[in-house]
Amino acid sequence: MQRKSTLGNLNIHIGNTLFENPIWVASGTFGYGTEAPELVDVNQLGAIVTKSITRQPREGNPPPRIVETASGMINSIGLANIGVEKYIKDLLHIYEGLSTKIIMNIAGTDIREYVEIMEMVESVSSVIAGYEINISCPNVKKGGMEFGVDCEMTAKLTETLRGITERLIIMKLSPNVSDIVSIGMSAENAGADAVSAINTVVGMSINAKTGMSDIFTTYGGLSGPAIKPIGLAAVHKLYKQLSIPIIGIGGIVSGEDAVEYMLAGATAVQVGTANFRDPGISENTIDSLKNILNESNRNVAADLIGSVQTHS
Amino acid sequence: MIIERARIKSNRQLAHQIWEMQFEAPNIAREYMGSGQFINILTVDDWNHPLRRPMSIASSEDGCVSIIYKIFGNMTRELTQKKSGETLELLGPLGNIFSKWDNGSYPILIGGGVGLAPILNLKQACDNNKILYTMIIGARSGNEHFIRHDPVKNIYLTTNDGSMGEEGTVMVPLERLVKINKNAFIFACGPEPMLRALKEFAVNNDIQAQLSVESYMGCGVGFCQGCVIQRNISKIQSHSYHEKYSLVCMDGPVYNATEINFG
Repeated sequence: MQRKSTLGNLNIHIGNTLFENPIWVASGTFGYGTEAPELVDVNQLGAIVTKSITRQPREGNPPPRIVETASGMINSIGLANIGVEKYIKDLLHIYEGLSTKIIMNIAGTDIREYVEIMEMVESVSSVIAGYEINISCPNVKKGGMEFGVDCEMTAKLTETLRGITERLIIMKLSPNVSDIVSIGMSAENAGADAVSAINTVVGMSINAKTGMSDIFTTYGGLSGPAIKPIGLAAVHKLYKQLSIPIIGIGGIVSGEDAVEYMLAGATAVQVGTANFRDPGISENTIDSLKNILNESNRNVAADLIGSVQTHS
Repeated sequence: MIIERARIKSNRQLAHQIWEMQFEAPNIAREYMGSGQFINILTVDDWNHPLRRPMSIASSEDGCVSIIYKIFGNMTRELTQKKSGETLELLGPLGNIFSKWDNGSYPILIGGGVGLAPILNLKQACDNNKILYTMIIGARSGNEHFIRHDPVKNIYLTTNDGSMGEEGTVMVPLERLVKINKNAFIFACGPEPMLRALKEFAVNNDIQAQLSVESYMGCGVGFCQGCVIQRNISKIQSHSYHEKYSLVCMDGPVYNATEINFG
């Protein structure tokens, strides 16, 4: 009887917050969650992570900003966004009409900016479930990356933000560091509810015919299926050392990919680049995850978390 | 905006490295608004190439849409292998359209390379509405052309090597023809160097022009913010969004020549 009641149970928890399912959409791949085309029913999603919001509006980098690479793409958008004031004024209230959870992604150049943004959002009433803190954008000179590569800075930022909100705080980790686990530990010890991993991997693309770099800023962030093995390894390493939930990101395009990330230790996953190809893909991924669970002996998605069998 | 798995009706070579593919896509055809709009094509089902390819709609009739594409690399070469009856997944129709071509001015339709797709489409619209026009199509060489140089019908071809039509770029006949048509209005699509030259010409000669620009696109629906073009604005605020850069997928691909700057 008990088994039947949990059949196909996709619920997961981060802190005290219940998410209907573990399939989220990643920051920068789904806008603000308010402008999704009719191709997708956003209310089916476990959560929407907004694109990074900064203290002031940002135009972003000059073109060319993107290029396709083998099984992936490189982007250097440069955190183009409307800024927190307009976000609060024009968009925050729209979330009241959605049943999916909203995670607001915040990026700043120094602690003061992160604090200001969060205080501004906390000072108004809203239904957002929490914040993902971008400390790992590789595409702007001060994209928070100096936090993401430094344990002390990560701890200080996390601790400061912890004092401002009781909502979820998820620190988004960069793979472009020598030891992602120590950064994750710093976030956990300073009060983060979860970490998400990984942000994009620094990459470069060159056109052999023209001799030109394909991206205006020369280097950009590699994403897509090409980085899935990097993401899986990061999640597994973090899972072994951290006790807070890990949200897996990197090259997820199917229910099978989501299962692999959960086996590696992810409590939830974010679909990113795949949204560019098909805005409805996350919804399909939820169905596919459900099917995989129903076909296996594990009917509770959360049972997957960290249960990968390794050879040693 | 629809995602439609469309049956390929025909896929044929028109000229050297230039192909036309026609799809049975009744839903996209029904939503199609006019020349300038494009579809985003999933050319392979695997994830070796994650992104779709944006292609202008060259014609839309009887529930079908067509594209004209040039062999650029592996992806477009693979497209030539597709047979009628096979299917491809299309996202569209996307983007805005050429406008004011029927407002009493004299349209000069200019296409370069595969940029001629929406221009042929606009020509058809002019024909259907009995609007007189001049059309200029440019290519590097005669083997890339598949329509006839026919000045009597106001259709001019140019080639860089002089192997067909007039030698030089589309600017050669344009500079001459614009003088005999006082009320000229340029509508153009093609590679950036051509559009840059046309913009400069239109601005210097105070001629109205609408340009459909090409851009590398990640999604076509505004999510990725990758396809931007710089707007022509004199005063850029220190903090702004969507003022300096325009999203080609949502705001374009058709712009007034005075509206944008080429890098």
